[in-house]
Amino acid sequence: MSEGPMAVVKPQMKSFIWLQTTDGSIQQVEEDVAMFCPVICQEVLQTGMGSAKNFAISLPQRVNAAMLGLILDYCRFHQVPGRSNKERKTFDEKFVRLDTKKLCELTSAADSLQLRPLVDLTSRALARMIEGKTPEEIRETFHLPDDLTEEEKLEPLRNITDDPRIRLLNRLYARKRKELKERQNLKNIEVEEEQHVDERSVDDLLSFINGGIGDSKGARASKNKRKNRRRKEQPRNSSLNNENGDHKGSNNFSSGCINSDSNNVASPSKTSMSKDMASVIFSPKLGFNEGDIDDELDPAMKEQLDREVEDFARRLNSVWPERMQELLSFGQERRLVPVTINGSGSFKRCTGLDRG
Amino acid sequence: MDFEQDLISDLPQSIIETILTKLPIKDAVRTSILSSKWRYKWATLTQLAFDDKCVTLCNDRAIVENNLANFITRFLFLHDGPIHKFSLSTSYLQSSYDIVQWLLFLSRKDIKELVLELGEGEWFRAPSCLFSCKKLTRLELVRCELDPPPCFKGFFCLKYLNLQQVLIPPDDIECLIASCPLLESLTLSYFDSLELTVSAPNLKHLILEGEFKDICLVNTPLLVFISVAMYMTDDIAEHFEQSSSYNFNKFLGGVPQLERLVGHIYFTKYLSIGNHEGCIPITYYQLKFVELYQVSFDDMKEVLVVLQLIVNSPNLQELQISGFSNASAAIQEAPDLDFWEKRCFIDCTLSRLKTIKMTDVSGVQHEMKLIKFLLEHSPSLETMSITPSLYLTEGRLNMLIDLVSFRRASTQASIIFIHEQV
Repeated sequence: MSEGPMAVVKPQMKSFIWLQTTDGSIQQVEEDVAMFCPVICQEVLQTGMGSAKNFAISLPQRVNAAMLGLILDYCRFHQVPGRSNKERKTFDEKFVRLDTKKLCELTSAADSLQLRPLVDLTSRALARMIEGKTPEEIRETFHLPDDLTEEEKLEPLRNITDDPRIRLLNRLYARKRKELKERQNLKNIEVEEEQHVDERSVDDLLSFINGGIGDSKGARASKNKRKNRRRKEQPRNSSLNNENGDHKGSNNFSSGCINSDSNNVASPSKTSMSKDMASVIFSPKLGFNEGDIDDELDPAMKEQLDREVEDFARRLNSVWPERMQELLSFGQERRLVPVTINGSGSFKRCTGLDRG
Repeated sequence: MDFEQDLISDLPQSIIETILTKLPIKDAVRTSILSSKWRYKWATLTQLAFDDKCVTLCNDRAIVENNLANFITRFLFLHDGPIHKFSLSTSYLQSSYDIVQWLLFLSRKDIKELVLELGEGEWFRAPSCLFSCKKLTRLELVRCELDPPPCFKGFFCLKYLNLQQVLIPPDDIECLIASCPLLESLTLSYFDSLELTVSAPNLKHLILEGEFKDICLVNTPLLVFISVAMYMTDDIAEHFEQSSSYNFNKFLGGVPQLERLVGHIYFTKYLSIGNHEGCIPITYYQLKFVELYQVSFDDMKEVLVVLQLIVNSPNLQELQISGFSNASAAIQEAPDLDFWEKRCFIDCTLSRLKTIKMTDVSGVQHEMKLIKFLLEHSPSLETMSITPSLYLTEGRLNMLIDLVSFRRASTQASIIFIHEQV
């Protein structure tokens, strides 16, 4: 139905359709290849455009010349009816071996041309790049800015994961910041060192939370927390001796997860705890791996965390011992006390969890 | 400062949704911490698929169950927008109030496709809110109890219904089918002692598996694909003997558009019951593929059913028959061999039949007669493959001798005898 550029009628002459992309290039394409695209097909049938260079069909904005080339390659292969499913599959697999940028552009271009099979194919390839990867890896692949605060990262997950785990995190954050503030008041140490102490405390706080909870999860977690525990104990001993015994209790309290010997607080709530803490185990999976937290803190996150630490410390008003009592006495209803983890069989049984 | 441009976050939401839908739902939720733009991209997904992989598994069943229920509840609570597809496939979660609440939530979200595959144990009793999902186009239930309320008028948009191990009062199942005018595909598996009359004017695919006492296709003119597996118990067999009308007609009498027929155990036996007149009134012009399993060639009536089916399918392309006979009967003279000489059989030509596969061949006389018949009446035949029954040890040579002597109407036909060293 569309005439070729030549006036001479040849029996095997192919019809061509003229296409124009937004970056100005105009090209002619074999009719059956071009008509494989629903948008082009529609344009040809409804408006009759595309029959000559001056009447080239303007393609949607998201299709540039390079993408058009790729799309036409796809169409050219698939519009041939005789191909077997295996051939098509092999072609598809090779076809999506593109760099990420091209893959995203191609998805966008195919979508604007309503070429559904190609959209599905490229989307699947992009999904494979996301599935099972850590957030850093995904951000790296797609050049995503890491512009969420720690709180924001937790927020949707706070609701979707079990409450006690997140509340625990917040309380421990709060407690640690309170401690840091007190330490700052007690000593006059150089800013750097303090920062160093701060960073490590938060660092090991988070790794403890994740590592401690995931006690049985794997060597990596336990290695981290062991490492951090050593670091933690040193500054602690010097600065915290003058706190009352409750503070020591808090040390046990916090490392109750890690130490297998201290398991003496709030034992009646043990059985109910194991259930909750087990649910706590699975929650990190939803948001982030222990590795993420550790990695993130070391490089450029320091400043942000320091800001947050100070915020927390400022907001915190209650005296530590009172807080401690409060937490201890809440036992069952709050379902929060994290002490019971070590011995309960459920964690031992939870080894070998997949970290996906 | 140079920064590389975000490649993906600004793609249209429809593409993001396509990508997120191709991820396990856990990974989709995890994208919320990627960046500020990604925080809630997952929350508008319209196709949700939950399974046991959403939570970490451990040996304590109660914990996993609890975790899974919490995950789904919290997810739904954070979700924003319509939900078109909801699928839950779990062996841990059983009947629970949580599922009832989710169904209530979904019924308010214009749910279109619902799949519930629950664990062994106490079967989930579907609440009445399930029947108020007016926009349902697809419903799949495994291990549930259905009790449609009296005011239930039907799922007017339902196209695909799959019930497996579902407890439903027998009258209600017929009503349910009849009240879904757009129903195109029906699958019923593992039903007990069901007498079923199917009336579905738009039905194209029918798959039945279970102990059916009786199946009657009353109003199914558009049926294209039928697959039936009938498990027989003794009382069902007795019930069969008492039936008066010809089952073949009752079942296959009203399906002129049939393209593909698969009959598993006892299907041909079922069809053969009843008083049969001479020939079948209907011709299956579209029937291209026929697969019949466990055909007992000892029973002349079953052979007749097979023959009548073949003869009434002039455009048959592929035929597969698996036998189920007593090999020792091959030695004796089979009764009623003369119906092979009937007019309507002799004149038959299967001009499109290209492939025939006979498996579990015992070599009984009717079976060999059928093979002979097929060879003589298929001018386009390309391959006939014959696999002898494992129980046939001594008669293979005789079978081969007979085979070699049969005349072939097709010059391209090759007979492949699949012989494993016994």
